[in-house]
Amino acid sequence: MQSSIKRPLLIRIVCILGFIWIVFSFPSVFSPSIKKMGDWYPALFGLIVASSFISYIGVWHMKRWGVQLFVITFFIKELVLVMVEDISYVGMAFSLFFIITMLLYYKRMDLNL
Amino acid sequence: MIIFGLLRESISFAINSLVGNKLRTFLSLLGITIGIFAIIIVFTVVDSLEQNLRKSVQSLGDDVVFIQKWPWTFGPNYPWWKYMNRPVPEYPELNQILETCNGAQSVAFLVSARITVKYKSSSIENVPINCASHQYDRVKNFEIADGRYFTEAESASGRPVAVIGDLLAKALFPNQNPIGESVKVNGAKVIVIGVFKKEGESILGGSVDTEVLVPINYARSLVDIRNEDLDPQILVRAKPGISNDDLIDELTGLMRSIRKLHPRSDDNFALNQTSLISTQFDSLFGVVGIVGWVIGGFSILVGGFGIANIMFVSVKERTNIIGIQKSLGAKNYFILSQFLFEAVFLSLIGGVIGLLIVFLLTLAIGDSIGMEVSLSRSNIILGFTISILIGVVSGFVPAYGASQLDPVEAIRSN
Repeated sequence: MQSSIKRPLLIRIVCILGFIWIVFSFPSVFSPSIKKMGDWYPALFGLIVASSFISYIGVWHMKRWGVQLFVITFFIKELVLVMVEDISYVGMAFSLFFIITMLLYYKRMDLNL
Repeated sequence: MIIFGLLRESISFAINSLVGNKLRTFLSLLGITIGIFAIIIVFTVVDSLEQNLRKSVQSLGDDVVFIQKWPWTFGPNYPWWKYMNRPVPEYPELNQILETCNGAQSVAFLVSARITVKYKSSSIENVPINCASHQYDRVKNFEIADGRYFTEAESASGRPVAVIGDLLAKALFPNQNPIGESVKVNGAKVIVIGVFKKEGESILGGSVDTEVLVPINYARSLVDIRNEDLDPQILVRAKPGISNDDLIDELTGLMRSIRKLHPRSDDNFALNQTSLISTQFDSLFGVVGIVGWVIGGFSILVGGFGIANIMFVSVKERTNIIGIQKSLGAKNYFILSQFLFEAVFLSLIGGVIGLLIVFLLTLAIGDSIGMEVSLSRSNIILGFTISILIGVVSGFVPAYGASQLDPVEAIRSN
């Protein structure tokens, strides 16, 4: 019962870029620099990476829950980054661009899991 | 309630999968186990070394400046021939610093040597001896477990008294109190007036457990305190609220004036501080941490592929069961959670085994090298985090694929 909705090119690009970000972010979860930021920071950062990965899978399959999860993850991520004073404006701009792209096609996406 | 039901069912699926395909499961878990082991053991060793180093540095005093002939760190192409001609710090310089240095709380002169200590028929060779001026106890961090430190009169008159280390006391006086007993230091009689509190092995060496401390004025009869080989040094502790940098600035001016150096000539002394050691070790630990991260990262990556592989096979094997479950009304999220839980559970088992091996190794390492090596809470959290993360990331795609299966097609499959 795979989604029959055709995946737009922009969504494809966003997801591929997202998967590349995941590939690079995943090892940093257990990097010494992340570990130095606190006992719970790797766990929190790992949760953000895992939920970003899941949201990209959802968006790739044109599911609305993917966009919803991505937006929630984005806000949590930015909140954490503000708290640890490690905010990246380039990263934020990319995420906002991704969100806008996903929202453009939101109505065409599937409601189900 | 449904979550508990899901969890119970997923765990039972995972256990069945583990028991049913022992070799396959073992090989899949091995990747995660090795990955978690590699990362956590490196972090554990680095953390423990750092902790021990900080403890050792703290015992030296992080607000103490050491006036010596040689600096503790050298840059590339350092002019060693200039350092060779430098004079060593001398005892009279101590008094001048004591009188004029405003930023100093306490100042001590120290020389170190190795001697033979005898008590009756017991004799111990190559024992480190520290010969220090009176304020040494206010500059160096140590505690006396039994007895006392020198009085000002004993220090000034150079009475033959000594404070000895805990291990040395136990070796020389196995079944008696050493306080008040006389030992022979290089043939001269010295009365033991105190025993240091046991400190344990120091990563920088120089633990008080095995040393003898005597007043510098008495040491003049034992050793030549101007001998360069004894590393004469002046230790200056900053007053509370005075930073090391401020103290160094003041001491630089003071030492230049004491030694009557021309304004254009270079300093002929080194002002060392413990932060120099910490900085050197920080970069070393940083490199070790990165190496462990890279090695462990690759193992984790391979382990993740192993888990993903086993999950794809698991979905393929149970496709018709998924079909039956869906035709009986199981929702997509139920199937998804079932396989996702299984992946996380498998990964967690691998992680727990890895952490367990690290824990057992820390016990073994700690006992054999005599240094405290412990698996910290942050490393345990990190181990569990990585395991769960690997389980979620590598299990989600197969689990999602399973949840999207068409029930009719799934039942038909073999």
